Amino acid sequence: MSAHMKELTKGLFKENPTFIIMLGMCPTLGVSTQVSNALGMGLSVIFVLTFSNMAISALRKIIPDTIRIPSYIVIIASFVTIVEMVLHAYVPSVYAALGVYLPLIVVNCIILGRAEAFANKNTVLDSALDGIGMGVGFTMSLTLISLIREVFGSGTITLFAVGGFDGVIEIPGLHESPIGVLTLASGALLVMGYLKAFFQWKSARGQK
Amino acid sequence: MREILRTGIILFLICAVSAGLCGIVNSVTAPVIEENLIREREAALAVAAGEYTVGNEITVDTPEANVAYTIMDGDEAVGYVFELNASGYGGAMTIIASYYFDGELINAQLTTNSETPGLGKNAENSWYMDMFKGLGGDSPLPSSSADLSADDASAVSGATVTFTGVSTALRNGSELAKSLGGAV
Repeated sequence: MSAHMKELTKGLFKENPTFIIMLGMCPTLGVSTQVSNALGMGLSVIFVLTFSNMAISALRKIIPDTIRIPSYIVIIASFVTIVEMVLHAYVPSVYAALGVYLPLIVVNCIILGRAEAFANKNTVLDSALDGIGMGVGFTMSLTLISLIREVFGSGTITLFAVGGFDGVIEIPGLHESPIGVLTLASGALLVMGYLKAFFQWKSARGQK
Repeated sequence: MREILRTGIILFLICAVSAGLCGIVNSVTAPVIEENLIREREAALAVAAGEYTVGNEITVDTPEANVAYTIMDGDEAVGYVFELNASGYGGAMTIIASYYFDGELINAQLTTNSETPGLGKNAENSWYMDMFKGLGGDSPLPSSSADLSADDASAVSGATVTFTGVSTALRNGSELAKSLGGAV
């Protein structure tokens, strides 16, 4: 596999930000109540992560070491503000659902973590690939957690409303008597814990 | 000294470019957002008015309500609908609520808010506002979750700040309706 391909795919499983590096736990636990929220959050993070990684990588030789953190925060905050304004204008339902977690992408440790650990040492192309890979890895993890929580916790799968389809798929059997605890914060921690254990077991088995 | 100046200029340039970029996007999205809010407000006014129709706008001089309209049953005014300001866990919220002249709540809907999904955001559901409907006239609106039935109190647990914000705003609205009392 070429080096570029490696930067892109490492975020999916090997260095998955949620299950392996354990970054960005706050939004992961907070917005994983519905699949549509997870997808909205994931796409916003992919956008912010990719563009902030590219901008930081392009400016890595210009930004002095002493002001790198404030510079990163300003760059990341600008992209988050742009995402916020665009979502507010064109997808208000997702904007409303993400609520306070959307501006909090600014301090999402995946983004600052990748800026500090990767983008300020690598080329623009590699940083963009790293951003896309990590963003997609985060989105996949978030969607997986929210799918489990929503299917078992509410008996529904909430996607986006298109035309006559209202966006909500009800699962017979589970919809009438769901496991309510999974929709609460404690349910998020439980699901996260089991999935982390599963990924730990899987990667330990892979090393043998 | 030169180093400090250089660092300052670089940080200034990054901030200036970032602010410029945000400004450009804002100039495109701001009118769309404004339009959405107006549409949302009109829809919420119609929902809050329920079986009645929204009448003329009236001026109210109070920080608790942004806009106020009379609501009509045919040609006869029966009450008011207000856009009320409330304060929740995620900051400012707005509630559209309708009242009879005696302060009794007809209907209410939480519109703008930044409450936590799954907790405070539950207040957007119609069952949440059902707890308050019909109160404010002869029987008072609840001021804390202790005034609720056991079922309702457990439904709002975990989001006490949202509940207090909503109930305070609704009580303010009820008082406002009483004070106007059909005079306008």
